[in-house]
Amino acid sequence: MRIKTLAIAAFALAGLAVPASANAITLIGSGSVAAQPVLQALFATYTKQVNPKVKFVYTANGGNAGVKDVQNGTSQFAGNARTPLPSDAGTTYIKMFMDGLCLDVNKKNAASNITIQQAHDIYRGLLTNWSQIPGSNLTTTIDPVGRDTNGGTYNFFLQAVLGNEPPASNVNALTADGLVQNAVKQDPNAIGYVGLAWQRGVKPLKVNGVPCAPSKISVEPLRYPLSRYLFIVLPGDGSQSPPALLKFIDWMRRSPLAGEVISKAGGVPAFNKKPKKR
Amino acid sequence: MNEEYQAEYGPKWSDQRVERMLGALVCAVVGLLLAMIVTVFVRAWPSFSHNGLAWFGPGGSVDDQLNAIFLSGQAGAEYIYTFHAWPLIWSTLLITGGAVLIALFSALFVAVFVVEFAPEWMSNILQPVVRFLASVPSVIYGLLGVLVLVPFIGNHLVTEGQKASVAGVISLSGYSLLAAVLVLTTMIAPLMVSIFTDGLRSVKPGWLEGSLALGVNRWRTTWKIGVRSARPAIVAGTVLATARAIGEAVMLAMISGSVGFAPNPADGLIFIYEPSRPLAPTIVKNIDQLSSPPANATLFAIAAVLLFSAALFSLTGYIARRSMRKYGTA
Repeated sequence: MRIKTLAIAAFALAGLAVPASANAITLIGSGSVAAQPVLQALFATYTKQVNPKVKFVYTANGGNAGVKDVQNGTSQFAGNARTPLPSDAGTTYIKMFMDGLCLDVNKKNAASNITIQQAHDIYRGLLTNWSQIPGSNLTTTIDPVGRDTNGGTYNFFLQAVLGNEPPASNVNALTADGLVQNAVKQDPNAIGYVGLAWQRGVKPLKVNGVPCAPSKISVEPLRYPLSRYLFIVLPGDGSQSPPALLKFIDWMRRSPLAGEVISKAGGVPAFNKKPKKR
Repeated sequence: MNEEYQAEYGPKWSDQRVERMLGALVCAVVGLLLAMIVTVFVRAWPSFSHNGLAWFGPGGSVDDQLNAIFLSGQAGAEYIYTFHAWPLIWSTLLITGGAVLIALFSALFVAVFVVEFAPEWMSNILQPVVRFLASVPSVIYGLLGVLVLVPFIGNHLVTEGQKASVAGVISLSGYSLLAAVLVLTTMIAPLMVSIFTDGLRSVKPGWLEGSLALGVNRWRTTWKIGVRSARPAIVAGTVLATARAIGEAVMLAMISGSVGFAPNPADGLIFIYEPSRPLAPTIVKNIDQLSSPPANATLFAIAAVLLFSAALFSLTGYIARRSMRKYGTA
């Protein structure tokens, strides 16, 4: 019995040790939760189909924490969902792909369009009843749902919709994108904001008349108003990063295969399939 | 023989060795605990010293204060520490108090039933079930709360009139005091039941038999002799459950609502549908702000309050049990 247990333990340890000894390059990253599903898909495809010697370890600890990790050298790269801030000194931001932030309502709600101004007023506590929103069949009180301050999504919403004013006290701030999606799915009176990858069971509204769909998401020319880039952050000016990492970034930004992976995982490829840009 | 040997030669080396090893282990544990307490209080000090007793008082919106504290640390400007935690403390008191009160009475009656009245096959089933329930991780209760209870309260119990009456201030969408108290009660009641049943079982049979022999009926015997003698166990169970309830963070962060709002009993029935956020979930929700020094101090101050109240509880429990020791052993 004891020998059997020991044998199993030894076998498991050996299993853990094998990948490390296969002469592989391991790239360590951390940061954005929003970028995580897409990044993981890209990592898997890259290791499987492009360069099996390159392995990735990515910890989704939030974009702001990721940048800190890059600054103090704990991570070789970070994912981030916001544009650079003054506190990010000593790092380089490279655009990876795009994402859209959708404003979602329950499927029972007939509303189909919302303006940025209306969204602003709802989340500032100025519009509180669905009868004030044209197109909605409801005459009930609005339950606005949002993210708590941990999320990069919260920062983006604050900048893009609220003009950096804090949300009203009637906004229910939840801890994860999945909880926001769930709240909107279960409450006919709710409105919430989540990224493109979280649209199952909820109904995305058109924003200023533009549907929240991958085909409309772009920054230049501006079509869907809540479009955003997801960035990869490198230390210094980026030239000191390991060549394997730079090669991966190049592949991610250019190759048609990466483009396919990005759109399948819920992102919008920004540069792929096109010749060199920027 | 051993005593004679010890008297003559002193303790055996093998015993000394065990004694020293275990002693060192205990010292390490106590040292670790002390280090933890000191760290928490040292880190929390700036927040307490800037606010004084006003830290515990009401005044302004806690969420705005937390945000200002965080931003002041990010900008590198002069740190802001102003923080009035009353809504969070009030929410903690309401949710913990409500849950402990309901759980205490229901657990007491369940325990009496299991020990004294249930047929044997039933208590044989009930006891393992209760023990299992007491060890279910709180996240599972949180999930059930978010997926079942919160939507039920939001869609069926809260009326449109009630929602409209507080529109723009808070939203009554089911994340509420009621949901938090109910789920917390379900979480701590099994813990209480399992400690209470142990206490009731260890009441000396002679005391109960004596009462029954005098012609007192079973219910009165149980209530006056059994429950009274088991009081130390009841206090112990309540203290343990309260400690678990007051520190519960993940489950409450999921269902109590997320605004630092102090539910007001003067609002009438709406009161129980109002959202609030206790102390422990506040730490969970703002964990991202630890990089900002003043926010760091504020979160550690909240942790210090929780630590202090936990210590206070176990002390109260200890004193209460000591003064009740004459009633029986448990």
